[in-house]
Amino acid sequence: MTIPRLLAASAFVTTMAISSAMPAAAQEREIRLSGFGAMSGVVRSFGINSKAALEAAADEINKSGGVKLGDGTKGKIVIDYFDDRCNAEEGISVTRRIASTSSLVGIGPTCSNVAEPLFGVLQKKVGDAGDSGLQFPIFTDVAIKGGLAKISEWAFRNVPDEGAMYAALFQWLKKTRPELKTIFGGVEEDFAHSRATWYAVMKEVAAKEGFEIKGEAKWLLADTNFTNQAREARRAAADIVAISAHPFTTCGMLKELGRQGVKPKLVIGLTSSSSLETLQGCAAEAEAIIIPTSFAPVTPEARAAADRAAKFNGSLDLHSGAAYEIVAILKDVIEGEGVLAKSDTVQADRAKIRNGLSKLTETKGLIGISKRTEEGEAVKPFLFVHAKGGKWEVLHNPTK
Amino acid sequence: MDFYLGLLQIMGVHTLLGLSAYVVLQTGQVSLAQAGFMAIGAYIAAMLTVLSGWPLIAALIAGALVAGLTACLVGFPALRVHGLMLVVATIAFTEIVRLFFFNFDYQIARGSLRVGPLGGEGFRQIRYFPENGWTTLHVAIFIWTVVALVMAALWWMDRSRAGAVLRAVGEDEIAAQSCGINLTAVKVSAMTAGGAIAGLAGGLYAHYTTHIEQSNFTILLATFAIAYPILGGLSSVFGTVAAVIFIQGFLVEGLRFLGDWRNLLFGALIVLVMNIRPSGLLDARTMATLRRLFSRKEH
Amino acid sequence: MLIVDLVQSIVDGLLFGATYALIGIGFTLVFGVMHKINMAYAAASVGAAYAALRLIALIGGPAWASLLIAAAAGGVFGLIIYWLCFRFIPLSNPLATLMSTVGMFLLAEEIIVHTTDGMPQNYPVVVRGILDMGEFMIRGDLVFVFVCALLAMVVLLYLLYRTKLGIATRAVSQQPVAAQLVGIRLNHINALTFIVTGMLGGFAGALIGSAVGLLSPLLVIPLTIKGLIVTVIGGLGSIPGAIIAGLLVGMAENVFQYFRGVTERDIYVMLLLFVFLVFRPGGIFSNTVKRD
Repeated sequence: MTIPRLLAASAFVTTMAISSAMPAAAQEREIRLSGFGAMSGVVRSFGINSKAALEAAADEINKSGGVKLGDGTKGKIVIDYFDDRCNAEEGISVTRRIASTSSLVGIGPTCSNVAEPLFGVLQKKVGDAGDSGLQFPIFTDVAIKGGLAKISEWAFRNVPDEGAMYAALFQWLKKTRPELKTIFGGVEEDFAHSRATWYAVMKEVAAKEGFEIKGEAKWLLADTNFTNQAREARRAAADIVAISAHPFTTCGMLKELGRQGVKPKLVIGLTSSSSLETLQGCAAEAEAIIIPTSFAPVTPEARAAADRAAKFNGSLDLHSGAAYEIVAILKDVIEGEGVLAKSDTVQADRAKIRNGLSKLTETKGLIGISKRTEEGEAVKPFLFVHAKGGKWEVLHNPTK
Repeated sequence: MDFYLGLLQIMGVHTLLGLSAYVVLQTGQVSLAQAGFMAIGAYIAAMLTVLSGWPLIAALIAGALVAGLTACLVGFPALRVHGLMLVVATIAFTEIVRLFFFNFDYQIARGSLRVGPLGGEGFRQIRYFPENGWTTLHVAIFIWTVVALVMAALWWMDRSRAGAVLRAVGEDEIAAQSCGINLTAVKVSAMTAGGAIAGLAGGLYAHYTTHIEQSNFTILLATFAIAYPILGGLSSVFGTVAAVIFIQGFLVEGLRFLGDWRNLLFGALIVLVMNIRPSGLLDARTMATLRRLFSRKEH
Repeated sequence: MLIVDLVQSIVDGLLFGATYALIGIGFTLVFGVMHKINMAYAAASVGAAYAALRLIALIGGPAWASLLIAAAAGGVFGLIIYWLCFRFIPLSNPLATLMSTVGMFLLAEEIIVHTTDGMPQNYPVVVRGILDMGEFMIRGDLVFVFVCALLAMVVLLYLLYRTKLGIATRAVSQQPVAAQLVGIRLNHINALTFIVTGMLGGFAGALIGSAVGLLSPLLVIPLTIKGLIVTVIGGLGSIPGAIIAGLLVGMAENVFQYFRGVTERDIYVMLLLFVFLVFRPGGIFSNTVKRD
């Protein structure tokens, strides 16, 4: 093939491919919700699970009668899902693509480093004619870095509030395990979420509950050698070791602690490590680690949802559980705000949904009622799980 | 429409990044420092508009100048080495810059908020475009005006004596030297120009993504910077544009309908293209053919 | 206490550096023979370790068997990389093979991600045990990695200098045209180089997996960068140089971490590297610096 022809062919395929993503105006009333997140790289499992959760939730709603629209007709939820590779530019591009379709809400992204620029691209204050930012509601299921939703009034999140979770955890430990008095921290420094969770959450609330901080060890997210850090932990000889890191380095550190024979009485982990990843990486070393999480199949609803997600080849955890809840929340908002889901009301529908979301003060979740803040964040119910025999088991449910 | 315009913005910035590596590659040097220069331009320009309230164009120029100056200073020692050693030396530079910003805090209070870069947490709310009412169309036109200016300058340079000198150094250093060409001066000039262009790309990047952090400016980005001109062909600036369209338009956005296959095809197609077109999509022969075609049409 | 800690940090770093050394040998060998960089080398090596892990999980077997399986898989991957990224691209075009191996790197990484959903995978311990000397501790598995690196060096040097194949390889490295004229098949030798380095890479990948205790796509980029660094510090093409450089890099990392903390650690390592490169461009074992 000569070059001009090769170029012409690829240009043709490109145009075809891009335009094929723009569906013709829907004949039947469909409510398009678009998920997006990482389907490649180390965070691929997040995207797979979120996609499955969204599809399972939509399928369940459609099967039980669909969504009642503003003019009395029934609408069906249609889910599509886009990969942003956990890359800021691609996340913005995907959102613009979604916003150019009839989609009413974007559900995602996986990574905080995508969420933060993405929220910045949105209009900051609703109705501000001087702000040319994108006017499209985003409802985040996974990206958990603290305080992001306040960046834009179009941004909402259904992610757990770590401050409340760890405060409750340390209070509970103080009551039930009075022999634990000292704590040593391990923190993954170059990831915004893990870093903030140790310094602004775990360390603060532990100190407030009267635990003595015996020190902290730091590492980077791709580190493989933990000899120095484990030795610091050995010296500190604290009762509790709290590890604020993602599964790869959580496992690396736990393995090195094992090699050096450091046996703390209790290990606490980061919320997002309460997924399958940690168990795939180091089930043996992670045995008995305690993590607060916002999802576990403890209620009939949660169990049913987990089964449905499994049928769509995903597993429900604290992140994808949030995605599942988001679809249910959106159904209520769509019905409450009289969304029409017609091809000529797309922008008005989006504004209605944003409006509806901003008015919410409480939402029903899989394991209980969540509160919603004025900044668009959620305060979700939570429970404490621990790793036991290669599985996550519920250790304590503070709401009971 | 918004989506296509957004895509155009991304392509524009990546074209600049590719062109910055193109200039350096002309002298036969493979530099992975471009991501570092881009980071410098991004942080400087964003700090000037957000913290000092500078107008955008002045801030972009300042970012480009600082990046260019850094490139000049780094160029003197770095360009003593060639080939793989230069690759590794420039990897070291990009990592040093990235880690510098990882440790760099400079925040000032703005009302109830604190703004400015904050180490590992990044630098958020660089919202010059939306705050001043620029639409995606405005931004796309602005970015491509910058790209057009840079391309025109490079196109002119390519056809002037300066371009011949760069190529001479790239083809055979010893021969060039025996013709009386000052190798160091030529290489450092190319590096400086490349650094300034990368700085410009960084300034634009910071403003259209509204948030920058150290993890944006990695070796992977630097690898893409050299990938564009190599994939596109080093015989003209249009090769870089073709490669940006191929990677950002076709591989990233165009193949999206393939779902999971897209990511697998990404690497595989790069391998394939290099096998079919080892000198790039638009190599010297193709460019000559194209030129003939166009001149025939004119007659 | 300070001295004890410092010595321990140095020892830990040197030992962990053995993993860098092992990867570095492969990079340097390809560079020595073909004067080309194989950017996909670390990705393929980690990929081979994944393949071994999969196979062991499937058919069962002792942990040490994964080293052999990984070596075999690495050899196959090496050959595949040679065919897809080097065989049909003109030797006179170093940028094209640089880019094709970058493409291969991205492909290999993505295949790993797709088969495991990017989740970290537990890797069994091959060598157990720690030498505990009161204040000091030495990891047995890292000593094993170090011994393996030395063995690999001895075997490779024997192959290169004491066998006909080695003579042919060196001939190809020094004068490809002349080598062809005396009847050495260039493609044959190059393919063999890739198989041998691939086997070494697979073996290294499995050892690294076992030393880290995990396999993850996160290993790939740092190992690639470390491999390149070790190649140039050790002197392009020098196998003993790669081993010493690997140990030095590992040590520098740990010492800077000890003194300056983890967030600044790599700044100093990279600064040191930059200065070293600029002022001693030939590497530790700088023999005659040829044009590259």
